[in-house]
Amino acid sequence: MKLIQFIKPYRKLFILVPLCMVVEIMAELFQPMLMSRIVDEGVLAYNLPLVIRTGLLMLGLALIGGLGGATAGVIGSVASQSFGKDLRDATFHKVMQLSFEQTDRFTTGSLVTRLTNDITAVQDLSNTVTRGMVRTLFQFFGGIVMMLSLNVRFGLVLVCSLPIQILLIVLLLWKASPLYLLVQTRLDRVNSVVQENVTGARVVKAYVREDYETSRFRKANLALTDTNLKVQKLMATLNPILMVVMNISVIAIILIGGFQTEARQMQVGQVMAAITYITQILMSMMSVGMMFQNFTRAYASASRIREVLNTDPVIRSGERQLTSGRGVIEFRDVSFHYPGFQNRPVLQDISFTVKSGETVAILGATGSGKTSLLQLIPRFYDVNTGSITLDGADIRSYTLESLRSHIGFVLQKSELFSGTVRENLLWGNSDATDEEIRHAAQIAQAEEFILGFHSGYDSVISEKGASLSGGQKQRLAIARAILKKPDILVFDDATSALDLGTEAKLRAALREEMKNVTILMVAQRIASIRHADRILVLENGEIAASGTHDELLRTSEIYRDIYDSQMREEVTENG
Amino acid sequence: MADTNPPRVPIGPGRRGGPPGAVTVEKAQNVKGTAKRLLIYLGKSKRLLFILLGVVLIVTLLGLLAPVLQQRAIDVIAACVQTNLPLQVERLLRLLVLLLISYLLSSFCTFIQGIAAANLSQNTVRTMRDDLFIRLSRLPIKYLDTHPHGDIMSRMTNDVESISNTVSTSIASLISGSLTVVGTLIIMLIYSPLLTLISMITVLLTVLVTTRMSRYMRKYFPKQQKYLGILNGHIEEMVIGYRTVVAFGREEEAEHQFGSINKKLKKYGIRAQALGGTMGPLMMFISNLGFLIIAAFGGWFAIEGWISVGTIAAFIQYSKQFTRPLHELANQYAQIQTAIAGAERVFAVMDEKSEIDEGNVPHTAEDVIGNIDFSHIHFSYKEGEPVLKDFDLQVKPGETVALVGATGSGKTTVVNLLTRFYEVDQGVIRLDDIPIREIKKDELRKSIAIVLQDTVIFADTIANNIRYGREDATDEAVVRAARLARVDRFAERMNEGYDTMLTEGGGNLSQGQRQLIAIARAVLADPKILILDEATSNIDTRTEVYIQEAMIALMKGRTSLIIAHRLSTIRDADRIIVLEDGKIAEAGSHEQLLAQKGCYYRLYQNQFAGFAT
Repeated sequence: MKLIQFIKPYRKLFILVPLCMVVEIMAELFQPMLMSRIVDEGVLAYNLPLVIRTGLLMLGLALIGGLGGATAGVIGSVASQSFGKDLRDATFHKVMQLSFEQTDRFTTGSLVTRLTNDITAVQDLSNTVTRGMVRTLFQFFGGIVMMLSLNVRFGLVLVCSLPIQILLIVLLLWKASPLYLLVQTRLDRVNSVVQENVTGARVVKAYVREDYETSRFRKANLALTDTNLKVQKLMATLNPILMVVMNISVIAIILIGGFQTEARQMQVGQVMAAITYITQILMSMMSVGMMFQNFTRAYASASRIREVLNTDPVIRSGERQLTSGRGVIEFRDVSFHYPGFQNRPVLQDISFTVKSGETVAILGATGSGKTSLLQLIPRFYDVNTGSITLDGADIRSYTLESLRSHIGFVLQKSELFSGTVRENLLWGNSDATDEEIRHAAQIAQAEEFILGFHSGYDSVISEKGASLSGGQKQRLAIARAILKKPDILVFDDATSALDLGTEAKLRAALREEMKNVTILMVAQRIASIRHADRILVLENGEIAASGTHDELLRTSEIYRDIYDSQMREEVTENG
Repeated sequence: MADTNPPRVPIGPGRRGGPPGAVTVEKAQNVKGTAKRLLIYLGKSKRLLFILLGVVLIVTLLGLLAPVLQQRAIDVIAACVQTNLPLQVERLLRLLVLLLISYLLSSFCTFIQGIAAANLSQNTVRTMRDDLFIRLSRLPIKYLDTHPHGDIMSRMTNDVESISNTVSTSIASLISGSLTVVGTLIIMLIYSPLLTLISMITVLLTVLVTTRMSRYMRKYFPKQQKYLGILNGHIEEMVIGYRTVVAFGREEEAEHQFGSINKKLKKYGIRAQALGGTMGPLMMFISNLGFLIIAAFGGWFAIEGWISVGTIAAFIQYSKQFTRPLHELANQYAQIQTAIAGAERVFAVMDEKSEIDEGNVPHTAEDVIGNIDFSHIHFSYKEGEPVLKDFDLQVKPGETVALVGATGSGKTTVVNLLTRFYEVDQGVIRLDDIPIREIKKDELRKSIAIVLQDTVIFADTIANNIRYGREDATDEAVVRAARLARVDRFAERMNEGYDTMLTEGGGNLSQGQRQLIAIARAVLADPKILILDEATSNIDTRTEVYIQEAMIALMKGRTSLIIAHRLSTIRDADRIIVLEDGKIAEAGSHEQLLAQKGCYYRLYQNQFAGFAT
């Protein structure tokens, strides 16, 4: 997909802009010409009426030109803002469809930059930058034409000076363009150091690494300003050289003009106008450097946006609507590795069935694939081989929307959004009544602390829940999932920050209120899972054992190990 | 990504600020004061500033001289037409040589000016960014806990960047501009007071239009910026929370909300940009008007014989020179506004109080024995909502104390106070009988290693992430710490082993693996006091037991504080403290507390009895 497609709906406007600018610039270009007439035919011929007539003509032209310019300005903004809006909508829409492996690859930070800075840069390109370029081009070529039409002999000066100018500019761009890119990467580096320090402030302070971080930052900062300085120095060198060429051209014009005038081949006013034109031509060349800088930046941004727009979600929606609410899950010979890590399988030959209303817990060592396994169910990632069925059909045959609407997934990291407690809970079901919200909060053991806030359910959650404790965040996340009234509830180590008493109450409430819901949970504490209908023990991506707590205690050494690590003394004490 | 159980700053209405990460370009509150401080920053490079001033002065004077020479040359040519005498070639050449010299000199000075301006702006910006970062790294945790991170980031980057751009483009043009205006005016008056007066019409128009337009711009530009800020906030939130968005099928709602903000942005964007877009042509129109006024009136005056033809040529140049600085100012108006508002936001951070460090007792990390004493501590994050009430706790050197209690009972607060992330409201915390306020903060913190639940991983190699605990650690020490924390198990399986680069969010690791790295970091730090705040919550219990056994050996003779929900984690502690409502409800060993049949017993029953309660 090309970004040009987003211009299409507004192509009339986008064509109109340069047209209006032609009017504006033409009007400008004629001013020195008319001025030369005032001097040559008016002043030197002592013809006052001609001076007045030409003056009025110039006024008219100035008005037309101003009108043209203003129209171009207004139309240009309408066109570029509309284009920018469409592009932004489309890109955001695309991002909202991406699969996790793709957002992982882009990284969230980069996606945010693409959606904000990059689109703004492209939008600017479509208006100010383009207008500047059109203006520069017209001034350049228009100036040449006008100058030659004054007197062809001035062409001699152009033939000498233009190639030098062009050569100089090409040389500069050739030297500068890699530097522009370098500036961008160096800026990214500065940003990432700041980002790490803002988010990791506690660790930096705890290890008294402020000085280290400061020196790290200084280094990044110095690298950035050095590169910036190099770019600016290049510019600072180019401009005076261009000015020398320009000024010598002016002197040449006066010199040639002098002799030509003496020979009656030329008139004084023409010499004066020629000076104005050559200044204009060479000035427009000087702004090319600036243009190029803006253009390269916008071009880089455009390709970054194109990259997002051209990424099609790898996880595609199926056709069927999932309607039945039984929640029967079956894993058949499922193997999985993260995209790009073929040689590091995460899950291998996983097979098991979860019956409707059953509670299945998954236990295993750090990095054994527990989270990965859960994430396959709502198709956050797709299996590599084997299949997962839900209520008898492959989950890939259902539409993503209907599949996910039947699953309440509580992530390991509870993410809350700016807004009130109520607004956050409503994510589960935007049509929920107050009654339902309270009920969900009660089950999740969240109501007590919510009511402790000044405004209860209408209290505002700030900065992604920074004002809440870990356990409070987890309980809100659980309430949100319960409110969804799902057929399947998935807890990915989602109760780790709850104290034991609260967790037990939550379990009791779930058992009471959500009898028919299939529950899959990952947890570390035996107490959290021991009453599950079945427990799967994962070891290195394979199911090492499965059964009830009591069965596993008898049959599985690994499970006993885990159990002992948590309970060894109690068994004897209470046994 | 907050790196802890954040403090419980009570939430409620009234905290509804801007959206996170909003980049609102407000109008500066105190333009004069801010500009003055900016100037002080520029003044730090005095030599550059003087060079810049010097060459700008020369360039400006030469700029005033050139049109005079041009005018004389034109007059020589015109004279030959008017008088029908042969061209005074010698005179013309002499003038042109003078002109050439002045041009060359001016170009050379422009070169120096450009280099000086570049150096000045980059120096200024670098110093400013460095200062800001140093200030940032010394800010109390409280500041970072209560301010949107996106906003802090944006001050560091966007705001400083906009100051940088403005300084490099505007400073030289402001100085030369004001000099040019004065000089040009004088020369124009000398040439022809009448023509000067008439051409002042354009100046009047410029001023009138600029003030009128800027009044509208001031109305729409901030609105555009505001909606851009809201939109960026929405993008950030939805992209960062994308997993939750997908899990709850909220993609469409997110897009819908995005669309409606985007529409508003477009509306105000068109207004603001259209205004900005007409500004240029308007200025051009005024400039053309000036051109024709001089051509027409000049022509008339020349016919009357009041001025020469060359004067017209000179006037055209001078009037351009005269209005150019005004146009530049008008064009840069929005930019300068944004830069000053940005500078104000930057200075606001610099004016924040940094962490207090009045410690002067020579008690270094090596001297620390590890005797901790909390006595009569009162603390609240927000007035009227105490978290700790008359909290008392003594920890002997080498003792392991576990803090347990319901979420929000104040466990993390104890850690926040001991490390002086926050300051107590009342009471004294002593380390080895010295109030911690009197110990240098750096030494205090060096004696403590802390592992938090939400681990911080830096965009660096695994080895360097561990080495964060002690900069000068040898490779062997790093590997030893990694073994102890069981990092070796997954690190050695990675393609590049310990040199594998980790992403900033630690994306290629599981939560548990990230915690293991954080533990290795603390082990390497080799502190006198160890604090584990839910440090093993995502680690499976078998790995945990292994680590704990290794740690116990390591921690012999050191003091440790452990916060955890798992009884398995805390059972072996010398003493268990049960916190309830900001006070100590129970204290004692595991066996003692069980025998008491109090709240610990109930917690324990919950864990062991599971669903039975």
